[in-house]
Amino acid sequence: MDTVEKLGILADAAKYDVACTSSGVDRAAVGGRLGNSVAAGICHSFSADGRCIALLKVLFTNACVYDCAYCVNRRENDVPRVAFRPRELADLTIEFYRRNYIEGLFLSSGVLGCADRTMELIIETLRILREEYGFRGYIHAKAIPGASPELIDRLGRLADRMSVNVELPSKESLALLCPEKSKDSVIDPMRRIKEGIAEDRETRAALRKKTCYLADRRPRRSARSFVPAGQSTQMIVGATPETDRRILTLSSSLYRSLGLKRVFFSAYLPVNEDGRLPRLHAAQLEREHRLYQADWLMRFYGFDVDEIIDESAPFLDAELDPKASWALRHLDMFPVEVNTARYETLLRVPGIGVRGARSIVAARRTTRLGEAELRKLGIAFTRARFFITCKGAYQGKGVEYTPEALRGELRRHVGTGASGRKKVVPGQLSLWGE
Amino acid sequence: MSTAYVYDGTLEGMLSCVFETYASKEDPLDIVEESSFAPRLGQREKIVATDRNRARRVEEGLIRVCGREAYEAVGIVHCSDDPAKGRAILEFVRYAMKRGKGAWRDVAHKKVAAFAQMERAVRNEKHRWLQFLRFEQVEGGVYIARCNPEANVVALLMDWFSARFNTQDFVIYDEVRHIAGVSRGGSWIMVEAPVFDAAPATEEERVVAKAWKRFYDEVSIEARTNHGLRANFMPKRFWKNMTEMKQAPLREGSFEAGPAKGDDFEAGAVRVGEAALISGSPCSSARHRPKSCG
Repeated sequence: MDTVEKLGILADAAKYDVACTSSGVDRAAVGGRLGNSVAAGICHSFSADGRCIALLKVLFTNACVYDCAYCVNRRENDVPRVAFRPRELADLTIEFYRRNYIEGLFLSSGVLGCADRTMELIIETLRILREEYGFRGYIHAKAIPGASPELIDRLGRLADRMSVNVELPSKESLALLCPEKSKDSVIDPMRRIKEGIAEDRETRAALRKKTCYLADRRPRRSARSFVPAGQSTQMIVGATPETDRRILTLSSSLYRSLGLKRVFFSAYLPVNEDGRLPRLHAAQLEREHRLYQADWLMRFYGFDVDEIIDESAPFLDAELDPKASWALRHLDMFPVEVNTARYETLLRVPGIGVRGARSIVAARRTTRLGEAELRKLGIAFTRARFFITCKGAYQGKGVEYTPEALRGELRRHVGTGASGRKKVVPGQLSLWGE
Repeated sequence: MSTAYVYDGTLEGMLSCVFETYASKEDPLDIVEESSFAPRLGQREKIVATDRNRARRVEEGLIRVCGREAYEAVGIVHCSDDPAKGRAILEFVRYAMKRGKGAWRDVAHKKVAAFAQMERAVRNEKHRWLQFLRFEQVEGGVYIARCNPEANVVALLMDWFSARFNTQDFVIYDEVRHIAGVSRGGSWIMVEAPVFDAAPATEEERVVAKAWKRFYDEVSIEARTNHGLRANFMPKRFWKNMTEMKQAPLREGSFEAGPAKGDDFEAGAVRVGEAALISGSPCSSARHRPKSCG
C-alpha cells in the first residue's frame, strides 16, 4: 500500500484525539539543522470542523489488541489495519515540515502486540527524526498505558510533550468501557513522566551550580531535556454519566498533583454500536465548550473548582459562560472601579480577559480610563459594563442590578446575529414533541 | 492651510520627515508615500528628500530616549498599508520623546492608540503568514511560496523562515507588492520582482501535496463540521495559496506584473530553479529591516 493511502487511514483513525497544540517549548534554530520551535505554538491550518492543525497527527498503527467500547480502532471493528514503517513516517514528517504545513509530529498508536513493542516502534521513528535528520521541530508522543518505565524515559528524551489519555473520568467507567485498562495503568506512566521532568530539572540545576571560584564552563547539553513541554491528557465527555463537577475536580487534581499542562475534553461521538454506550443523536459540543471555559478559569483566572461549580448544581450553566454565572452569584462584589481595582479583581469581571486586564493595568498608569479607552483596549464593553464603574460612574445604567435582569442581558448577545454561532438543536426533530 | 509631506516610501524617508517636522517646526497633516499621494483641497505639498544621516539621528534619539522597543514599533508600523501611518508615527514619536521609556505601552493614550492598533495589525498579519504560508518544491530543489499580505510583511517573515529552513533555499513572493525575499544558506535579501517566473513543481512535490491534502480531509470530524469557525480562524483570502485549500492543480509557468519602481532594489525578474539563484549580496539577518537590506 502506498504512503498516501496509509496516511489517509491512519489520520482518519487518529482524528478523535483532541490535542493538537505545538506549545510549551522555545527552541532556536541552529545552522545546518531543520526547524525550530516557539513556546506560543503555531497553528498551520484549520480543518472543516474548525479545529486547528498544528501537528501531523497520525497513529503509528491502527491495529490494536484492546477492545475499548468507544474507540474506532478497537479489536472487534472491521476496518483495514495498516502500520507505518518508522523511516517512512519520519520522511513524511520532514517533507511536510519543509513546506510549512506543520509544526511537527503528534504520534499516537494502537497497541501492536504488546505495549513495549509499540513503544519501541514509536521511539525508533522519533530517533530517526531527532538523531539522523537533526529535526528541531515539535514532537508530541503518546505513552502507551502499561509500557515499561525505561521506554518511557527514552521516549521522553526524544519528545517535547508526552501524554497519556485518562479517557474516562472515573474508575468505574474505565472498568465498564475499557476492561483491559485500569486507573493504575494510566496514572503510573503519568507519574513516571512527572518524576522524570522533576529529576531532569534538578540535574540541570545541580550542573549549573558553581562549586569554586574558577571560571566555569557551561554544561554541555549532551542529553536532550526530558519532556520540556510537559504532559497533557484527554477525557471523553458524555459517554458515561459523570457530572461536570466530577470532571472538573479530576482535572484540577491532575493539574495540581501531576503538574499537567493541559487537560483536553472531547465530546463523545458515537462511532460504535455497543450496549454499554449511551445512544446520543449529537455530540455535546456546548457542554465541551463550557468545560473548556471552566478549565481556562482554573488555569489563567485564579478560580477554584468550588467557585465555578458546587454540589447543588453539578452541571455547568448551558446558557451562560461559567465566569458570568459566577459573577451573577456574587453581585455583592461588583461593580469594581477599573481605574483602581487590582489585577486579580479585574480578571473576575465578565468581558475582561487576561489580555484585557493586563492592558488596563498598563494603560491606567498614564490615562484615566473611560468607556472610549476601554473599547480601544479591546474590552468586551457590552458585557463588562454591568460590572464596572469608570471614574466613579456606573456603566451599566438602564438595567436593573439583579441576577435575573443581568442574566437576560448577558445571554442576549450569545448565539444570535452574525458573530454568534447559530443555535443548533441537537438530534433529529421529533414530530410529536418531547 | 494644511501641509502634506511626501517621501519615497522607505523607513529612512519616513524618519527624515519626522526630522523635518522638528527642524522646520511644522505640523504636517499627512505624511504619505509619493506613489499614493493625493493632496487634500488646497493642501500644500512638501517633498522631503531621504537623508540617511537625519534618519539615523531620529533612530538614535528614539532609542536613547524611549528604548529599542519604541524604535522597533516604528519599523513595524511603517510596514502597514494604512495611509494614515505617517501621521500616526509622527504623533507617536513626538509623544514618546516627551514621555520617555515605556511610551509604546500607553496603548489607550490618544496619541498612541492609532499607532498601537496599526502595530498590532501588522504583527497579526505577520503571524498569519507564519501560519498559512505554504512552500512548494520546484525543479532545481528550490522552495517557493506566494503570499498576498495586507501589510508589507515579507521582510518581517524572512528572519523566521531563513532560520527555520536554513537547510533549504527558498523564495517568498509577495503578489501584491511584487517583491520577493530570497533566502540562501540561512541568509536572505529582498529583491524587487516585477515578474515571478517559477519552474514547474517537481514530481515529489505532487506526491507530498497529495498526501497533505488527503491528511487534511481525513483529519476533520464530520459530526463537528463548522465552516464558519474555520473561516474565522483561517480567513478565505489565505486559501488561494494554500496547498490543502486550492482546488486547481499545482500552478506552473510565469506570473506577469507591472514595471519595477525604485532603484533601491535589484530590479529584474526572479528566476527560480536555476543554478545561480539570484544576483545580489546576501545580508546578515538584521532585525526588522522593513525594506531593502542589500
